[in-house]
Amino acid sequence: MHLPLAISLNFLTDTGFWTGVLILAGVYALVALGLQLNMGFTGIVNFGAAGFMAVGAYSMAILTLKTGLSFWASLPISMLITIGFGFLLGLPSLRLRADYLAIVTIAASEVVRLVAQNARDLTGGNQGLFCEGAKCFDDQWRDVSDKIVGWLQDLGWSNPDQLVPLLLVVWLTVIVVTLGLVFAQRTPWGRVLRAVREDEDAARALGKNAFSYKLQSLSISAAIGAIAGWFLALDLATLHPLDYEPIVTFYAYAILVLGGLANYWGVLAGAVIFWVIVEGTRFLELGISEVRLAAIRFAIAGLILILIMVFRPQGLFGKRDEMVLGE
Amino acid sequence: MNSNGKTTIFEAQGVVKRFGGIRAVDGASFSVGEGSITALIGPNGAGKTTFFNVVTGFYRSDDGLAAFDGTQILGRRPYEIARLGMVRTFQITKALARMPVIDNMMLAAPDQPGEKLANAIFRPASSRRREREVRESALELLEVFNLTPLADEYAGTLSGGQRKLLELARALMTRPRLLLLDEPMAGINPTLGRRLLDHMQRLRAEEGVSFLFIEHDMEVVMNHSDRVVVMAEGKVIAAGEPHEVREDKAVIDAYLGGSEPVAPRPNADGAPKP
Repeated sequence: MHLPLAISLNFLTDTGFWTGVLILAGVYALVALGLQLNMGFTGIVNFGAAGFMAVGAYSMAILTLKTGLSFWASLPISMLITIGFGFLLGLPSLRLRADYLAIVTIAASEVVRLVAQNARDLTGGNQGLFCEGAKCFDDQWRDVSDKIVGWLQDLGWSNPDQLVPLLLVVWLTVIVVTLGLVFAQRTPWGRVLRAVREDEDAARALGKNAFSYKLQSLSISAAIGAIAGWFLALDLATLHPLDYEPIVTFYAYAILVLGGLANYWGVLAGAVIFWVIVEGTRFLELGISEVRLAAIRFAIAGLILILIMVFRPQGLFGKRDEMVLGE
Repeated sequence: MNSNGKTTIFEAQGVVKRFGGIRAVDGASFSVGEGSITALIGPNGAGKTTFFNVVTGFYRSDDGLAAFDGTQILGRRPYEIARLGMVRTFQITKALARMPVIDNMMLAAPDQPGEKLANAIFRPASSRRREREVRESALELLEVFNLTPLADEYAGTLSGGQRKLLELARALMTRPRLLLLDEPMAGINPTLGRRLLDHMQRLRAEEGVSFLFIEHDMEVVMNHSDRVVVMAEGKVIAAGEPHEVREDKAVIDAYLGGSEPVAPRPNADGAPKP
């Protein structure tokens, strides 16, 4: 018999499970990095992140399956499509005040999802999109993935999980994107972004085209969202509209707040901690049935997040001074 | 050329700004001579700040013309007007609170190639070179305004008066030719205020910067400006040298009231004011 409120520790050694959790953390880290650029450094309240992921993932899969393009060629093109989507979304909406912008972006992301659900010929609708005949969208990725598994075995890892190559590529990408954003933030370009965040009118009065900077910020976040969308599709080996619901954006915001505003590295820590808490609660031993545990574990995860925020309202890596001055 | 034989740097003709039925600026016309310090005065609600907002592109004008150094500016965006060399400050200061004072200053410098992301990435050397120059001139200006010890503090931690000084110093970083200052002295202690006025005089003498400033302190207006423009109810009712304006009947009626015996003005319901 188990003691109530105990945690069994054998799950810690389940590498397959943790590979999955860390891939998810990496995907969400990317989404939250884009939001950090928007929210934390430009002051844009973008709630359309899931829409960026969906446009990136679906255009990648559609290009691969319905045109002669290879998987690799479809990546840059789908990224350009997503950037174009972000640009067009921003053009009319970035003139709006923060709360209205939030509404427009979340609506746009829902429009994308509903189109994916209903344009069945193109997206497979609720059946999902993965293969057409013998060709699957991720065939070429699987070849590479198998090669990486071979290398890992040569290096002495006897039996790596099938998803370990994706894990490695996702986190390598996360690190590269983070370094790029940290670098960009330290340039004069990044300084203008922060000025726009602080006071758009002050920036304009000093000769800065605030609107253009907001548009650039949103477009870059769209590009990062496209990458996150690809990785989510590769992780799930399918594309389904329900994987791009607004809850994805909300989780990414939870990660952003947990990690702390205006700090890119905090996003990475926030993503890992968030998913370890959310997924780790599966292993709570409360002496109740699994069905009940499944229902209650989100409440427990929420409670843990609330407690962290009570003790560190600025987030794990946020600056308290900045939080206070921002009020 | 204006009446003083100097070149005009700014000229407004019949500028109108309506808010619904209210004509906040109602055909205002006046000019600012190059190298002058011109005060813009008028009772509360006269349309002074609205006029600033219109000619700097923050509000869209409903009618009229305005030219800076011969270039039509109505219809242009605020950042374009600022880049031309006509730069404003705000009545309620806009310190970039979560940025250090030095970053507030460096932000304002023009011609930083690194403000374009592509340049920042592919031509980092030119961006860094400009950064060094900009930092130097920012530190010099902070010295002038006694803000050097605060250079690395968040601008949001500054007092109201210090923010006013920072905003003026920041505007100067853009190397403007005409500065529009909205109540620059408000909330500054008299010693700092005098310093600020001295600095305005010096900038004009050394670099030919022109000033148009909104001010309520008559002592400052009368002693430190070359020309005074008086607005009331959206119109310019008088303009001239301080002593001329001081004796202008319309001005005394509209604004100065009390320095001369003035007949009571009827209020809204037509009854004389007590």
